[in-house]
Amino acid sequence: MAHDLGFWTLQALNALQLSMLLFLLSIGLTVIFGLMHFVNLAHGSLYALGAYFAASLAAVGGYWTGFFLAPVAVAGVGILLYSGLIKRMRKSGSMAQVLVTFGLIFALLDLTRIFWGDLALAIEVPALLDGRLGFLGVEYPTYRLFIIALGLAIFGALAFVLGRTQIGAMIRAGVDNDAMAACLGINVERLFFIVFCVGCALAGLAGAVAAPLLSVTPDMGLQILIPTLIVIVIGGLGSLKGAIAGSLIYGFVQTFGAVLAPQLASVLIYALLAAVLVIKPVGLFPAKG
Amino acid sequence: MFRHNTLRYAVLIFLAGAALFQALTAGYFGLEILTEILVLAILVLALDIVAGFGGMVSLCHGALAGVGAYAYALLSAKAGIAPPVAMAGAVAVTGAAGWIIGAVCSRSHGIYFIMATLAFGQMAYSYVFEAPVFGGDDGLGGIERLDLSLIGLDLNDSRTFALFCLALLGAVYGAAVLILRSGLGRSLSGVMHNEQRMRALGLTVWRVKADVFGLSGMIAGLAGVLAAQHVMFISPGLLGWTVSGEALVVVILGGLGTLVGPLVGAAAFVVLKHELSAVTTYWHLVVGVILIAVVISRANGIFGWVEARWGARIERRVADATRKQQPGEVARDA
Repeated sequence: MAHDLGFWTLQALNALQLSMLLFLLSIGLTVIFGLMHFVNLAHGSLYALGAYFAASLAAVGGYWTGFFLAPVAVAGVGILLYSGLIKRMRKSGSMAQVLVTFGLIFALLDLTRIFWGDLALAIEVPALLDGRLGFLGVEYPTYRLFIIALGLAIFGALAFVLGRTQIGAMIRAGVDNDAMAACLGINVERLFFIVFCVGCALAGLAGAVAAPLLSVTPDMGLQILIPTLIVIVIGGLGSLKGAIAGSLIYGFVQTFGAVLAPQLASVLIYALLAAVLVIKPVGLFPAKG
Repeated sequence: MFRHNTLRYAVLIFLAGAALFQALTAGYFGLEILTEILVLAILVLALDIVAGFGGMVSLCHGALAGVGAYAYALLSAKAGIAPPVAMAGAVAVTGAAGWIIGAVCSRSHGIYFIMATLAFGQMAYSYVFEAPVFGGDDGLGGIERLDLSLIGLDLNDSRTFALFCLALLGAVYGAAVLILRSGLGRSLSGVMHNEQRMRALGLTVWRVKADVFGLSGMIAGLAGVLAAQHVMFISPGLLGWTVSGEALVVVILGGLGTLVGPLVGAAAFVVLKHELSAVTTYWHLVVGVILIAVVISRANGIFGWVEARWGARIERRVADATRKQQPGEVARDA
């Protein structure tokens, strides 16, 4: 092939940027599932809400207002959902949870249309991150590098919290065996609540950082949902390692697939998912052995 | 195992009567809605067989129906095969696809099964979307309906087509009952209740799951063929995962694992959709809220709720009534 090194670097950076965006979404979803055994299909809708909040807030107070406040606002929505609906559904089967959150997708989709209309919104990239940066011999948009850095920073922070702190140990204990963790005096319910809020905030953050790259439309939550689910099923539910591995696999397969085999690109990732499910039905790095 | 009871028979007769009445009296728009209900009813019957009686909650049945629709379109419009043969071919192709999906996913359970079927559905969707032979985003047009002029029927007339769909729905319902009552159907409910035990009894579990999924795929394929013939145009949107999700919603709204319930659900869903979209463009919001309410109420859908409340009472009444006709038995009881 007639592509030079710079081309591959560029594609690798694109893949990494997509992976990091998916990581921000999938980590919340996977830990919510691992800890609470709760299937939240509406996670994508929270991402869309994050983008909308960011767009509205950016119009008032500039990009950084949206960046910092959108996750808080989405976490607020998460608290409402948790106390109104999800707490009640905790003991139901996964089927009921899938259906309730599927209903939530419908409801949230139309609510965003009612509040923000059907037209796509756009956010300006902040002046600080506008422009391009020379990186390993290629010019790359600074904003995309910022997303990669942000994803890595969040990954580092979560790896530290989950692996090295007391609350991380409590979460891991809860994922492993929630009944036993409760017997040892851990308030598992409160832990769930905190994890759920953090997961929602991360989804909102993903929406806020994705907003300047994509146009903000009501169905952006639906579009991102399937990739996110693929990531967590390939990676294995409930683990940080699974989420980052799944995100990287998805990002690289999708990006390089589109370059190397455009005919097969869209089928490739689903075929990979099917292969993973046949060989390891619980994903590559499940939280529980 | 699936059994009929008085309530189920009554609802079936009522639904069949209402559909027949509608088919014979309604105008063009009413007939279109009726046909939409009938096609959706065939699809949700297929889904209820696997989800309600086998515990295999599938998110690829919309895609299977889409595969049937595209197979029919390619065979009849592009390859020039006669519509009846193309129809049988499309059903066979979808059945084979369903069998393979069922076999591959047979080891997955719960949420992983849902995700795996979702993956296969999306795989079909993106393939159809990208491959030029399927017409991509533009879809395929010029799909012919079945030619039944040999027996004096013109299916291009929407009334005749609605009656044709009704007849097929009746046949599919009968087939579904036969499948569930057969040895295969009984093995399936055994697998749903205790897979380990069925395996210990010497059953090849994956074969049972794959066979039932294949049969269900054939029914879904038939629904797809009818949908293609109804609209005479198909687009990749038919295979999207939201279609499968909606089919699942219909099954849940009607009553999972009752066969009759999903029929009620299909009628309610289509009518609700049309009534609401006439009033507001935000009908998804209403459907979403209703879905959440039904699931939270813990009732098994509309029909399941009615059955749980009045089913036993009706059964007792009928039993009493039959007993009164046989005075000798009453005397012996006393």
